[in-house]
Amino acid sequence: MMPTLALKNVNKTFGHDTNEVQVLTNVNFEAVAGEVSLVIGPSGSGKSTFLTIAGGIQTPTSGEVLVEDRSLLALTGKARDAFRLNQIGFILQAYNLVPYLTVADQFTLVDRVKKQGNLSATELATLLEQLGIAELIQQYPGELSGGQTQRVAIARALYQNPEIILADEPTAALDSDRVKVVGGLLHDLAKQHHKAIVVVTHDLRLQEFADKTYTIMDGHMTLS
Amino acid sequence: MFLALREIRHEKLRYGLIVGMIVLVTYLVFVLSGLAYGLAQQNTQALDTWNASKIALNSDANDSLSQSLITKQTTDKLSLTKHEAYVGQAGVVAKAKGQAKLSAQFLGIQENQFIYHRLTTVAGHKPTTNHQILVDDSFKDNGYRLGDQVTLNSLTGKYQIVGFTHNAKLSVAPVVYGTLPTWRALAHVTSAYQAGGIVSERSTFKGADSSLRTLSLSQFINKLPGYSAQNMTFSFMIGFLMIIAMVVIAVFLYILTMQKLPNYAVLRAQGIPAKVLVTTTITQALLLVVGGLLIGAGLTALTVSVLPFGVPLAFNVPLLVGVTGGILLTGVIGALIPVRIILHVDPVSVIGG
Repeated sequence: MMPTLALKNVNKTFGHDTNEVQVLTNVNFEAVAGEVSLVIGPSGSGKSTFLTIAGGIQTPTSGEVLVEDRSLLALTGKARDAFRLNQIGFILQAYNLVPYLTVADQFTLVDRVKKQGNLSATELATLLEQLGIAELIQQYPGELSGGQTQRVAIARALYQNPEIILADEPTAALDSDRVKVVGGLLHDLAKQHHKAIVVVTHDLRLQEFADKTYTIMDGHMTLS
Repeated sequence: MFLALREIRHEKLRYGLIVGMIVLVTYLVFVLSGLAYGLAQQNTQALDTWNASKIALNSDANDSLSQSLITKQTTDKLSLTKHEAYVGQAGVVAKAKGQAKLSAQFLGIQENQFIYHRLTTVAGHKPTTNHQILVDDSFKDNGYRLGDQVTLNSLTGKYQIVGFTHNAKLSVAPVVYGTLPTWRALAHVTSAYQAGGIVSERSTFKGADSSLRTLSLSQFINKLPGYSAQNMTFSFMIGFLMIIAMVVIAVFLYILTMQKLPNYAVLRAQGIPAKVLVTTTITQALLLVVGGLLIGAGLTALTVSVLPFGVPLAFNVPLLVGVTGGILLTGVIGALIPVRIILHVDPVSVIGG
């Protein structure tokens, strides 16, 4: 099966000469639609750099990033913006939500920028129910707990109905019950909606929901 | 617009303070502009009603009508037409029994010439004899009435107010129109002097005599005592206030943008185009400035309605459009400073950590 997202021989270095730091070394990675791919590693292992390159936010020093066999590196800056908006849902650790928008308005913002292909009102309502945040729709992010904020951020990323979901520590602020909910949700999304889901985390509780697990250490990635 | 409005709605106090600053600056700009225009008008109102193009004065008068004397010998050499008129100016203190003294500008004119014909009255009639005067209607506001017998300076004769005219001010003083013989008496000159200056409707007019210097009316107005200095002072204040408005908007938006950078970085990571964020910032600046302008204009209108009659506050459409456009422009320029930062937001900064 053709991978939805593939990184081939990706290297990333920062700095020059004596200050040069190799963050990723010959990384090869594949995420397939219908699967949850977990990338596990400690802080400073290169997880975040991997995620930004996979999401088209940064370019690698060398190597290829392919989305459905099309090179992401060939795209212009604007085209990469459009790619992220249309094909990638980001779930980030912090500042995920716009603080002056209610939960409902977070989704309206997506509608304003991406006019087509988002979840329907019914699908959104179901999603919010699944995440246990349906009653928070008129709240501002400042009025939510850490766990509620993260669940709204997950809903927001899923609302764009992207092909690929890149999640950066999506369960960092959640208790074990909620981890099961989120893990199960990501798993269901992959299976039922045929999404390629990439989760970068050091939360081993998510392993039971993953179809495959990569380990990253000092910039080297291996498939477990 | 969506993000801009939602943020303003959510951060009422923060944006209220910015609007408050813009209101104060706008109010000051409006009032100062009105004062500048009002005072400029009061310097030249009388001249404006003549609709003249040129004025010839004695070349030694330093372009001042009140200092200029032109002899009959000189005027006899000129071939004047119906488009030219004699005028003589003298500063006077007018006094009528039971009324306060009023400082005014006396303008002596000739009955059969175009300035006289152009004069309009709001009450009474134009003077027809040497002891009749037509005065600006601010005399009426100071208690003077038609028929009042007025003394001018230390002249022994009495001059009867036979009419009031509107918008007749020169050098911010009300004008008293009378005859050239009365002007001669006030200027203490003999009948050898025809007038102080020759005013012409023709743009081609030139006082063809070496003792005369011909100026355009705008040149003459700019040489009115204090006129240029006053306008420059007001222009400087208004310009400076507009710069303050720009800096206020720029500083506030800069601080707010710096606070929002992490959110903007997330939005950029999620693929929200920088254009949306830039539009949001500029829209916000415009909304704040327009809000400030509207409230500032309302406050100005309120001020005008309660100001005493004598305060020379005046507005016209070009002035209001200019001031409003200037403040809007400075607002947009102020908003462009944070725009640079938004364009350089790095989405990488919010991944990981």
